[in-house]
Amino acid sequence: MIEARSASLVYEDNGKEVFACHDIDLRVKDGEFIGILGPSGSGKSSLLYVLCGLKRATSGGVAFDGQDYSSISGEALAGLRLKNFGFVFQYPYLLGYLSALENVMLGYPNPGSKTKDEAEAQLRSLGLADKAHRFPHQLSGGERQRVCIGRALLGTKRVVFADEPTANLDHLNGMAVVETLVSNRGSGSLVMVTHDPSMLERADRVVTILDGKIHSV
Amino acid sequence: MKSPLAPYVFLLRNLSKSTPLAGVIVLAVLLISGIVVIMNSIPLSIRTTYSYSRFHTGVTPRGNPAMTPTLKKIILDESPVALGPLMTCRAADCEVKSIVGPWRFVVIALEQNDMRSYAARLGATKLTGRWPRKGEPEAVVSEPILKNMQLKMGSAILKPEDSNNYSPKPVKIVGVLRTDQWLAMMPIEYHRANHFPPIDLLVVMAKSLDEQDKLDHWIYERFKGMQARVFAYFKLEEETTEMFKILYSILNVVIGLLVIVITLMMALLMNIYQSQRVQEFGLLQAIGLSRNTLLRRILAESAIVVFLGWVMGLVSSLAFLSLIRKVLFDPRAFMLDPFDRTAYLYTVPVPIVIFAVSALTIWTKFHKFDPVGVVERRLV
Ligand SMILES: Nc1ncnc2c1ncn2[C@@H]1O[C@H](COP(=O)(O)OP(=O)(O)OP(=O)(O)O)[C@@H](O)[C@H]1O
Ligand SMILES: [Mg+2]
Repeated sequence: MIEARSASLVYEDNGKEVFACHDIDLRVKDGEFIGILGPSGSGKSSLLYVLCGLKRATSGGVAFDGQDYSSISGEALAGLRLKNFGFVFQYPYLLGYLSALENVMLGYPNPGSKTKDEAEAQLRSLGLADKAHRFPHQLSGGERQRVCIGRALLGTKRVVFADEPTANLDHLNGMAVVETLVSNRGSGSLVMVTHDPSMLERADRVVTILDGKIHSV
Repeated sequence: MKSPLAPYVFLLRNLSKSTPLAGVIVLAVLLISGIVVIMNSIPLSIRTTYSYSRFHTGVTPRGNPAMTPTLKKIILDESPVALGPLMTCRAADCEVKSIVGPWRFVVIALEQNDMRSYAARLGATKLTGRWPRKGEPEAVVSEPILKNMQLKMGSAILKPEDSNNYSPKPVKIVGVLRTDQWLAMMPIEYHRANHFPPIDLLVVMAKSLDEQDKLDHWIYERFKGMQARVFAYFKLEEETTEMFKILYSILNVVIGLLVIVITLMMALLMNIYQSQRVQEFGLLQAIGLSRNTLLRRILAESAIVVFLGWVMGLVSSLAFLSLIRKVLFDPRAFMLDPFDRTAYLYTVPVPIVIFAVSALTIWTKFHKFDPVGVVERRLV
C-alpha cells in the first residue's frame, strides 16, 4: 500500500531549510485506520500531503502499491489520487454553485451514468438523502463536512486522508463525523490527522509527530 | 447525467458573473460594427445616388458651347463599341440630402422620346401618373428622389423661391417611376426657355450595357486635352475610393485602439473573475483533478463566453442597424447596409484577441499553482 521511506519535506524560509517532515518511515496497510497526533506546526498536515502525493517529498520516497511518486508525472499522480484517494480537509470546501449531490459527484474518478446513483447512495448512508438537492449555503457546518466525506468516499477509495476534519465542529458533531468516516470507508484505509486524542479511540495505530519527526507509534 | 464540471454548468449558474463578460463583448461588437456600417453608408450612398451614371457616359463641352456637335461626330465616327441612343440633354441643378449634408444632383432635361428611353435604359418601366408634356414646367422623378426630397405627386421639385432648387416657374411632379435608381427628368424645351447655361450636353449609351464601361474609358481617353468634360461612373468610383482612403485609415486606427482598450478591460475583468475561482481550482486539484483538465475546462468556459458574446454582438448589431435603417435612414432614402460584411469582419479580432488574453491570464494564474495553499486556507 502506501510506504514512505526516509521521506522529508523541506521548505525554504529566507535561505534557511525548514524540515516540515524529517526522515519519515511509515507504512499504511490496507484497511488500516491510522491516527496522526501532534502539536500545531509539528508537521502533521505536511506528512499527509507527502503521503498522498499532493506534495512531493524533497528527499526519500513515497510509493503507492509499489509505484514511486517521483517516477510519475504530475498529471499521472493527479489521476492516481483521484482514483485511489479521498480527502477530507479541515474546512468543508464545497463548490457553491453545485448542489450537495453534485459536489459528491466530483469525487468520482471516471464520471459516468452510475456516478449519480452512487452519489445518491453515499448521501443516503450519510443521512443526507433529503438534502441532496440543497446548495452548500443551505447546509450546516456538520452537514457540509458530511458532504465532503461523501465526496471523499465516492467510488470506493483505497485510502481516505482527513486533516483535522473535526476542528471546526463541536465535540458531538466531531465524533459523529469520525464515526461516519470510520464506518463508511468500507475496505479502505483511513489516515486522520487531529490534535484531539479522543477522536482516535477507534484507530488501529496512532502516530505522534514532533518537529517533523515520528515520535512514537 | 451531465457532469457537474461541464463548462456550461458554471456559466449558467453564475450568470451574474458570466453575463457582464459577454456583455462587454456584445457592446464592443455593436460599437465597432455600428461605426463601420455607418461610415460605409456614405460611399454606399454616393454610389447609389449617382448610380444612374452607370448607364451612360456624360459629355459636356468646356469653354466653348459650340463644341457639342464636334464631340458628337467624333463619338459617332470613332466609337469602338456599338452605340445605343445618343441623346442631347441639358441639366438643372437640384439638391438631395445625405447623412453628411446636401449633395448636388441634376434634373436631366430631355426630349419627349429620350425621357422614355432613358427610363427604360434604367429599367424603370413602371410609371405612376404621366410623362411631362413638351415644354411644360413638369417633371418625372423616381421613388428614392421623392422620399429623399420629401416631395409628393404634384409638388414642385424646382421653384422660384428655392435658391438651391431653382427654376423661374414651379416645376411640378406629374409622374413617379418605380425604381431604386435616383432619377429626375423634365422637358428640354422648358429648360431651353427658362434655364442657364445654354449648353447642350451629350448622353452616350453603348448598345449593350455590358460595354458601357469600355465606352466610358474610351471617351475619357479620347477627349483628354480637348474642350470637353467627361462624366463616367468609373471616375466617380475612383474619386469615392480616393476620398475615403484617408478616412478608412483613420477608422482602422480608431478600431485598432478600440480593440486594444476593450481587450485590456476584458483582461482586467477576466483577472478579477478568475481570482475568485482560485479556491475552486485549488480544491479540485487537491482532490485529484489534473491541472490540464482544469485548464481545459476554464479555457472552454472562456471560449464559450467569448464566442457567445461575439455571436450575440453580431445579432444585436444586425437588429440595431436594421432598426436604425428603418427608423432613420429609409424615410429619407439614405443608404445603410446592416448586412455589411466588412463591418462584421472588423469585429473578428475582438473575440480572438480577448480569448488569447484570457487564455494567457488563466495560464499565468494557474500553471504554477499550489493547491495546498488553498486547502490550508493560506489564500483568501
Ligand atoms: N509553505 C511553507 N513555507 C515554509 N514553511 C512552511 C510552509 N508550510 C508549512 N511550513 C512549516 O512547516 C511546519 C509544519 O507545518 P504543518 O502545516 O505541516 O503543521 P501542522 O502540524 O499541520 O500544524 P497545525 O496543527 O497548526 O495545522 C511548520 O513549522 C510550518 O511553519
Ligand atoms: Mg495542519
